Amino acid sequence: MIRLIGGEMPGWSEDRPPAGGALYGYLADQLPAGASVLVAGPHEHALVEALAARTAVTCLVRSQPEAERLDARGLDVLCGTLTKLTGADRWDAVVALDGVGRLCSVEGPQYDWAECLRALRNALLPGGILLLTVENELGVHRLVDPAAATAARTDDAWRSLGEFDDSQPGSPARLADRLGAEDLAVDWLGAAWPEPGSPTLIATADALRDGPVDALAAAVASAVASAYTNRMALSDPRRLAAAAVRGGIGPELAAAWLVIAHRAPVPAASLPLPPVLLGDGPVLEVAPGPEGEWVRRVLREVPGRDHAPAGPLPPGRLLEELLLGACLRHDLPAVRGLLAGWMAALPDATPDNVVVAGETFSRLDPSVPARADVLRGFAATLRTGGYAHPWPAATDLRTLTAILHGAAGLPGDIPAMPPGEEPPVLDSRRDHEEQVRSLRRLLADADARAEQYEREIAKRDAELTKARVQIATFSGSFGYRMAKLGYGLARKARQSLRKRT
Amino acid sequence: MHHANHFYGHAHVLAEYCGLDPERPPRIEGYVQHGWNVVDGLGAGTPYFPGRPIFVWSEQTRRRAWSMGRRQATVIGAPFLYLLRFAPPAPEPATRAGTIWYPFHGWESQQVKGSHRRLVEEIAATETGPVTFCLYWNEYRNDRVRAEYEKAGRVICHGYRGYLWQDTDTRFLHHQLSELRAHQRVASNRLSSAIFYGVAAGCEPAVYGDPMQLEREDRATAERIRRQWPELHGKRPEPAAARRSALAELGDGYLASPAELRATLGWALDRAAAAA
Repeated sequence: MIRLIGGEMPGWSEDRPPAGGALYGYLADQLPAGASVLVAGPHEHALVEALAARTAVTCLVRSQPEAERLDARGLDVLCGTLTKLTGADRWDAVVALDGVGRLCSVEGPQYDWAECLRALRNALLPGGILLLTVENELGVHRLVDPAAATAARTDDAWRSLGEFDDSQPGSPARLADRLGAEDLAVDWLGAAWPEPGSPTLIATADALRDGPVDALAAAVASAVASAYTNRMALSDPRRLAAAAVRGGIGPELAAAWLVIAHRAPVPAASLPLPPVLLGDGPVLEVAPGPEGEWVRRVLREVPGRDHAPAGPLPPGRLLEELLLGACLRHDLPAVRGLLAGWMAALPDATPDNVVVAGETFSRLDPSVPARADVLRGFAATLRTGGYAHPWPAATDLRTLTAILHGAAGLPGDIPAMPPGEEPPVLDSRRDHEEQVRSLRRLLADADARAEQYEREIAKRDAELTKARVQIATFSGSFGYRMAKLGYGLARKARQSLRKRT
Repeated sequence: MHHANHFYGHAHVLAEYCGLDPERPPRIEGYVQHGWNVVDGLGAGTPYFPGRPIFVWSEQTRRRAWSMGRRQATVIGAPFLYLLRFAPPAPEPATRAGTIWYPFHGWESQQVKGSHRRLVEEIAATETGPVTFCLYWNEYRNDRVRAEYEKAGRVICHGYRGYLWQDTDTRFLHHQLSELRAHQRVASNRLSSAIFYGVAAGCEPAVYGDPMQLEREDRATAERIRRQWPELHGKRPEPAAARRSALAELGDGYLASPAELRATLGWALDRAAAAA
């Protein structure tokens, strides 16, 4: 049933995908059965329907066609703008995993972030639970975005404030403060990557601080990498995200924060959530095991989909980062040691899917498909990323791959490179800049060399001419040479006579 | 690339290490450092072709080269260390005796100034065992200089360095290795490649005596060398520290495998085949 509450947008649909994905689905499913739930804003139908199968769900959307689609699926729908919620209707839980940016329609007041939060809080019954996503305007996804959020031109961007909404918190600590100011107590707060709309990794600040930081940084880099395949970025988001996690500011630079908070009094059942959730289909948790080591556990399987196995999280640092670090330090023995260890242990795993702890090389996610050209892939990363490395003159991919092959201690030559099949590399503007710079340098070097070669040829031509004259002068019998000399002199005399006349 | 790559048979040693014909080393795509120095690894006056790499002995030299604008430097380690990898092992039991002494040398464009006689006297007063004087070809061919040393001991020369690919003694380093292995100590009046090679071949090093002077030489460099490597100077430096330092200058630990070196020098098998 649809109830039009005012401010609805007839004939208009959202032009960006709704919030969803495996992790949001899993989180929504943790709400207690039998509770009344308001799902505020656009969410994937799968998420809403799974929730509706367990409990009473009301959807709040501004798009009337969307309201009709939800209604057709038998859902209860409020269609209109957030400002029309009166407070007369209240729920045990409010799910706002899309954030608050798509709750107000074009009609009526345009709430800022804090006003939206208050409206959602007012929709909660005492003891009610709020699931809220807050986009980080300084998150890695924003920092590497070639387009500014304030320059959005989508149909829903009639009031695109980006970082100019001063009421929106800019850090997890300030988010908790703002919630506290609205009498909302935080039960769980996670940092999410790679994007606010459908994260594939959510980790609490405690896990990022006290957990296996290097392995979590690797997992974050991997989550970010998959979001940027075939997509332009300003700079490599993997480095930024992983460096932030290792540097202790992972949550501050995460794409979004996911918070679960409640209105007083404390609800009877709290949501049982692990320190780390990951997955883009199957869902896994990562949490401390009985002996203190961090362990992966499968929470949700998906038929036909592989996932990382349950068991201890492989410790150590991402191989790709270790290799890049050793290259930047020009530490050839370390580079060779890492390459050799990698090729001996996991020769078909890409270096962004291998973690290294001491002498142990482990595959981070065994469900990632194997590749035969992983050395070539790393050579491409070195080249396109503009990383300094010990073989700066090896500017073509084939030579650099051959060097890495040798440095890894592998026998024989590198396998033939299939034409046109370049290993996948991240497409970033910074890399483009570096490639242009590098091509300019190659061209200038080639020009300078060509000039030097020309000078060298001119010098040698002169030497050759001289040598030919000498050879001609001293070749043949004495009589022949005298005759030739006489003939030459006679010719010169005739030429000079002709010039005078 | 440049005839200095063939000096002392360096290219020949590298080719043999790579499993190629040591008599006909392929053209190296860059410049191999042909002697120890405290600049960018290249000899003075080497024409530098932009974009072509220089292959230096040590990471320290690479850093120095970078600071001097040579961006394309790759550390490969000294060719002498590659020779040690494939040369037949030293005879057992070791029959080392005395000192091999390398007086500071000049070359075609710069001669050494100083008293060889006084140097010989100081050496005789310091060394307790027999002394072999190894003269550079430049001094060896000078009868007057050679005679000064012949009065005090055995005088040898490892061969001619080579020039414009001509008359190169391609087994220069082989001769040097077998002589070094026959001696207990290696000494010179200047810190030089020979001292480092001696250490790598198992000799105890010493650097003492009148350092003499090259024509038009900038003495500040020589003084800088003494300040930076005090552990290698003196009549009897502490051997362990001296060895560590000397091996680092040769790039010990940085040597490439034959396959890596081939690819680095532009000697990949497919390219070598195409060039032939």
